[in-house]
Amino acid sequence: MKNLSKLTLLISSLVLLTACPPKEQMQADHINLHFSHKVDTLTLIKDSLLYTNEAGQLYSIKNLHYLISDIKLTDEDGNTLQELVSEHFVSSDDESTYSLNLSDILLSGEYDNIEFTLGINSTRNISNLLVNETYHTQMFWPDMMGGGYHYMKLEGAFDNDSTFYNIHTGASMGNDYSITKSFPINLTSIENGNIHIIDINMNINNWFSNPNTITLSTDGIMGNMQRQMELKQNGTEDVFGIALSEIAICY
Amino acid sequence: MIKKGIFIFCTILLFSCKKEGCTDFSALNYNPDAQINNGSCQYHNVTPFNIITPTGFPNMIIPEDNPTTIEGITLGKKLFNDPLLSGDGTQACVSCHIHSANFSDTNQFSTGIDGLEGNRNASTIVNAGWNTSNFWDGRAITLEEQAFGPVINPIEMHNTWRNVESTLNGNSEYLLLFKKAFNIDYIDSNYVVKAIAQFERSLVSSNSKFDKFYRGEGSLTPSELNGYAIYNSEQGDCFHCHGTLLFTDNLFHNNGLDSEEPFTDIGLAEVTNNPSDNGKFKTPSLRNVEYSAPYMHDGRFSTLEQVVAHYNEGGHYTSTIDPLMKKLGVGLQLTNQELSDLISFLKTLSDEDFISEE
Repeated sequence: MKNLSKLTLLISSLVLLTACPPKEQMQADHINLHFSHKVDTLTLIKDSLLYTNEAGQLYSIKNLHYLISDIKLTDEDGNTLQELVSEHFVSSDDESTYSLNLSDILLSGEYDNIEFTLGINSTRNISNLLVNETYHTQMFWPDMMGGGYHYMKLEGAFDNDSTFYNIHTGASMGNDYSITKSFPINLTSIENGNIHIIDINMNINNWFSNPNTITLSTDGIMGNMQRQMELKQNGTEDVFGIALSEIAICY
Repeated sequence: MIKKGIFIFCTILLFSCKKEGCTDFSALNYNPDAQINNGSCQYHNVTPFNIITPTGFPNMIIPEDNPTTIEGITLGKKLFNDPLLSGDGTQACVSCHIHSANFSDTNQFSTGIDGLEGNRNASTIVNAGWNTSNFWDGRAITLEEQAFGPVINPIEMHNTWRNVESTLNGNSEYLLLFKKAFNIDYIDSNYVVKAIAQFERSLVSSNSKFDKFYRGEGSLTPSELNGYAIYNSEQGDCFHCHGTLLFTDNLFHNNGLDSEEPFTDIGLAEVTNNPSDNGKFKTPSLRNVEYSAPYMHDGRFSTLEQVVAHYNEGGHYTSTIDPLMKKLGVGLQLTNQELSDLISFLKTLSDEDFISEE
């Protein structure tokens, strides 16, 4: 048994040694982005009337679709050091959209913050700009209500299984309600091929509270600029968070 | 001396017997017996057909192995209209996908060659090149894949592909047309569906009254404009499923047609085996909707008035209903005038050029 342990240690050491290329051949680090969703401490389970919002309403989530854009790494002053993603569509219908392997973007040096925008800011939120993207037909926002694309579609039932809410955010009547967030990450790339995993997580329940308590109803909100502003304020406050982890290839 | 003479004679004979012809293997008239290329080679020339992307449309995704050509489209159109594809030679694609009906069937259900009826209304083939799936339940991704189905469906054309191939290969006109389109000497089913798919991709409708208005080339009446506003409002809420210039999201929804479960037709779930897809059907494009009655996957509504009335009443609850049907039991509460305006707008999606084009 003792010999077996020694053998295992030897093999492990050899694997580690052979897995690490010489210093001059070391690859740059890269990032994997993950997008996760929860309702307070509960995981997102679609179509289950098991969540309660600040207003005390029981609700379910049937669909969560959103566009996240301008994901980038910045320095402490907010200057862009590395652009990561222009636009990305996240859909609860397709879990492959929950992660992005950015292996083509090689990191070098230190990065202080990660910044992203929920939705698309007004300079690029233009009808048909993303006409060849697969989500174009699903996320477009009618010209008559300002054009461009939905930022987010959050849909489900509340109170009972047959009463539905549609939280559709976007540039209502052309006003920019997109939400830009920045979080410190203090990421240092030492160019040893490591993978930095950045999880951008959304607490869905916080869309409905802090500072504004949102009461779900069957009325659409796309043309409701007050509700759009309230959701922007809530989204700016504490809907998003990030978590960092790292997969070390070599030690 | 005599031996030398014989040798020279034979050598001359040998060279003089070399057969001339086209020695290029890739040429249409390649002659395997020819030893000397006499410059007679004829090559397969097809005429590319560039499908122009209308303003505001996505680029059409065309399979790399089936580029559209004049020859392919011409052949596809002939096949589409030829009853030769059916088991008894009486029914063509066009029998159920009637041009004047926006390439759908005016009957609620189509009747196959054996007199059997299906249970869904024949889908339209308008702007089908932008479909991301085909059939009401989305079971075929590409148009090529779609075209394989009806020919062998026992309640439709009830043929076999082996029989179709045999018939086509015995037809000198088709042999020539397939040779021209695909440079093949033996017609197999893959090329039949390729040709039909090419023809279907060429069926582009983008010149309706609404298109002209959108391009700034024409105007809409006050009633049509009001209908357009209702269509794009959250009260009417047509746009979430029938949005963009394609007038479809290419997705699947349960739009509250029925209140009973289990569903008589489970739709998308038949393909995905996922119960949460029960009762969901592909959103049809509303282009030329005026011509494509009856409506819904089962053709239950014969008029646009019935369609908008369904939505105005709010629809019926079942477990998979789309949350976009958020006015269940209450309805959209559109007035009769608003409903009329909405229908006026829907009729601006009629493209007379497309419907009447030969």
